[in-house]
Amino acid sequence: MSDAIVLDNVCVKAGKNILLGGVCLTVEAGEFVALVGPNGAGKSTLLRALLGLRPLDEGRVTVAGQQAHGLSGRDRAKYLGWLPQQSRVVDAVPVIDLVMSGRFRFDETRTQAKEAGLSALRALGVEHLSDRALNTLSGGEAQRVSLAVLQAQEPQTLLLDEPANHLDPAQQIRTYTYLGQQWSQGRAALCVTHDVNLLRHVGLGNPGQRVRVVGLQLGKIAFDSSFEDPMLAGHLSDLFGVHVHALDHEGTHHFAVMGGGA
Amino acid sequence: MKTRLLVTMTLAFTAIALSPFLGEGLEGETGAFVFWDLRVPRALLGCLVGAVLGLTGAVYQTLFSNPLAIPSTVGTTAGASLGVLIVLVLLPGADLMGASAITVAAFIGALVVTLLIAGVAATGRARVNDILLVGIGITLASGALYTGLQFQADMDATFQAVRWSLGSLSTVGYQELVALTPFALITVVVLLTQLRALDAISGGEERAFSQGVNVVRVRTVCLGMGALGVGACVAVCGPIAFVGLLVPHLVRKALGARRRILLPMSALTGAAFLCLCDGIARWALPDRNLPVGVITAALGAPLLVALVFKKKG
Repeated sequence: MSDAIVLDNVCVKAGKNILLGGVCLTVEAGEFVALVGPNGAGKSTLLRALLGLRPLDEGRVTVAGQQAHGLSGRDRAKYLGWLPQQSRVVDAVPVIDLVMSGRFRFDETRTQAKEAGLSALRALGVEHLSDRALNTLSGGEAQRVSLAVLQAQEPQTLLLDEPANHLDPAQQIRTYTYLGQQWSQGRAALCVTHDVNLLRHVGLGNPGQRVRVVGLQLGKIAFDSSFEDPMLAGHLSDLFGVHVHALDHEGTHHFAVMGGGA
Repeated sequence: MKTRLLVTMTLAFTAIALSPFLGEGLEGETGAFVFWDLRVPRALLGCLVGAVLGLTGAVYQTLFSNPLAIPSTVGTTAGASLGVLIVLVLLPGADLMGASAITVAAFIGALVVTLLIAGVAATGRARVNDILLVGIGITLASGALYTGLQFQADMDATFQAVRWSLGSLSTVGYQELVALTPFALITVVVLLTQLRALDAISGGEERAFSQGVNVVRVRTVCLGMGALGVGACVAVCGPIAFVGLLVPHLVRKALGARRRILLPMSALTGAAFLCLCDGIARWALPDRNLPVGVITAALGAPLLVALVFKKKG
């Protein structure tokens, strides 16, 4: 199997500021990689550079063994699916229309696209929202719908930008459990997050599998570790500049922030 | 929903079919001539122009994710007006291969300005709001040139330019209709082929890109086609205010924002609205031949304001 994503010495600048300073990162097919780091570390920029939404100043991106910038839009959409951070739509468009936009890469009739869209909504447990206007959804509903859009696209690799942002604890767990299911179906994922604890729910459905945790700081890879790594708490303490403690409870790690100024 | 759609369509077709009967002059010996040679081509022209203006308005609003974005906000009208004034000042009364020089100048002016914007969009580096700002900049610059030129022009040229700028369906017979038809049809058909991509873009431009939509190409095609269609309409009728802005909002209010409905229905409603306004212009002031642009603005402005306040309430 080829690698899902390879970033080779990727540099992105904004004027004089270096957003990504020579990032090398490989995500293998079927691998789950969490990307953590303080605000402004370049996590979202990295996802956008992967998608081609942000031009590279140096380096190159390979997607499924092919040069990313040479891919057609539809091919890229087959390999990479993106869950944007701010994905709320203010227009009064019905939910099903947005979900069907995920089917753009497929050559199919409108009826087939609608069928696929409804089944994606069903998979997320929100089929009843299909005719609701997007601007009437709650934060949690909007996030389920955004995931349904991604599900309808059926990409090989998921690029997730803080998928549990602004969600209540139950919804956060629900979201990460869903991502774990996607992972066990063979999808790879690169998931930007601040909350390492939620990764436990990704791992629960995939016993014996390693959830990789990569730290990004000032546009550079700071560490490449995993959820079960005893060193992770120390890595996170250095990364965020706070004391992070790993507490063992019922055979798994819980990370607790114990105070500032490490 | 289906009922609403059906009612809207019925109303639109009724308005179009009734519009030639509005106004005096259908009795007596000349009645048949007035009906078949003046009213019918005028209604057909109203349909073409209204459809192009309504549809491009809805497409531009989707493309720019901005309710104010219509062809005239990105310089189409300003470019056409400038072209017309240049011809009136420099080449008064000139003919170009049968077509009036004013028509050709309006078409070229509208096309040059909007293609300039489409060119900016095609570079792919500009974001939508940048494109909109460039459009507004070009509109203001053309306006400044227009005013400067007007200062140099004689009374006659200024008067003609003002008359042209009101927008009217009245000076038109079958000849102009035949000239406009291919432009209008190509514009409507090509814009409607972009429906699926525009549907995706309405959920966010960057997300649409990640879903495989070639956003830069869609933008360029839509802006370019808008320029062609609106340029041709402005050339024949002059700038007709408010149709492109009002009609998509009206349709959105009645039938929702679903692009699959919004776009084709904006074309149909635009056609009906313009025909109706032209009929009202004839019926309200029978012997003044009031330009339809006056009516569209006089009816459109309060309607738009009412619509916005109804949204709030």
